[in-house]
Amino acid sequence: MSDWREFEQNPVSHSAAHHLTTIQWLLDDQGYARVSDVARHLGITRGSVSVTLKGLRQRGLVVEDDHKHLSLSEEGIQIARGIRTKRILIQALFREVLGVPDEVAEQDACKVEHLISDQTAEAAGGFLVGLEKISLDSQWTLLLESLQRQAAATPTSFPGNETQELALRLEKKDPQGEDHPS
Amino acid sequence: MTQFFSRTEAIEKLNALLAEELEASIRYLHLSSMVQGIDRLIVQKVLQENHEETIEHAQQVSEKILQLGGNPTPRIQLDLDGRRYSGPQAIAEALIFEQAALDGYRDLLDHVDGSGDVVLEEFARQQVAVESEHVAQLQMLLVEAPVGDQ
Repeated sequence: MSDWREFEQNPVSHSAAHHLTTIQWLLDDQGYARVSDVARHLGITRGSVSVTLKGLRQRGLVVEDDHKHLSLSEEGIQIARGIRTKRILIQALFREVLGVPDEVAEQDACKVEHLISDQTAEAAGGFLVGLEKISLDSQWTLLLESLQRQAAATPTSFPGNETQELALRLEKKDPQGEDHPS
Repeated sequence: MTQFFSRTEAIEKLNALLAEELEASIRYLHLSSMVQGIDRLIVQKVLQENHEETIEHAQQVSEKILQLGGNPTPRIQLDLDGRRYSGPQAIAEALIFEQAALDGYRDLLDHVDGSGDVVLEEFARQQVAVESEHVAQLQMLLVEAPVGDQ
């Protein structure tokens, strides 16, 4: 299996994803975005922002006008919107379903937002929509509450015994399990 | 011209500039290693000279921060790849972060201009002049051999 190689086929890197979503956020929030604004928002130097933006401009995702104001091309907007939506969905999934504290959910969502496929993101969205429709007194709610209680506690080490045993059981069920290098 | 001058904000801006200078020095060093081609030695020399100069600038900025009663606390986050550069590509890359440093000093000058802190004002003005010259020098090198979307 060489799934990890798919990371390289992502339309944008983690850093580039942050630049795109930040530009979009600044445009929505203050109506303009400059290199200095992006640098301040991301907590990095203008030099780093400028170097990253060069690549994004060459790829036609970011546009800079004569006054050095930044905007996104149609493709850039689409990518930024997709990443943002994935972040929101994954964060909600981690928080609402797994019961992970919001801060941790946000950080973890940030780590995977630009890596997961559109298909998985759509499935997550569908699951959350379905979840909204479930009545409050259902078995689901009880299960979710139990999961949330469990997830709220910070693990001392990972994986715990129960989780490790589950992973082993799942691996045995997976026909390709033996081929996974990691 | 007189304006409200915040010492804390000046220190913040100087710390941001310190990070710019330190990052630029590392970028110059890295670029000088990664440049290849027939003009390698000439370009490498330019990059190494600029590397040394950015370190001097970083030291000067640190001094200013201390003089203002602050602490030098640069936040640096660099992720450099192993890409090879032709001479003009390396110069073009350097131009990007030199321009960013120049913009940073211009911001500082805007902030301290007319503040009454003559020493800091003069420092900012001097750095704008020096960085402008750097940018112009790099641009002149590129005129000889334009590359990409300069």
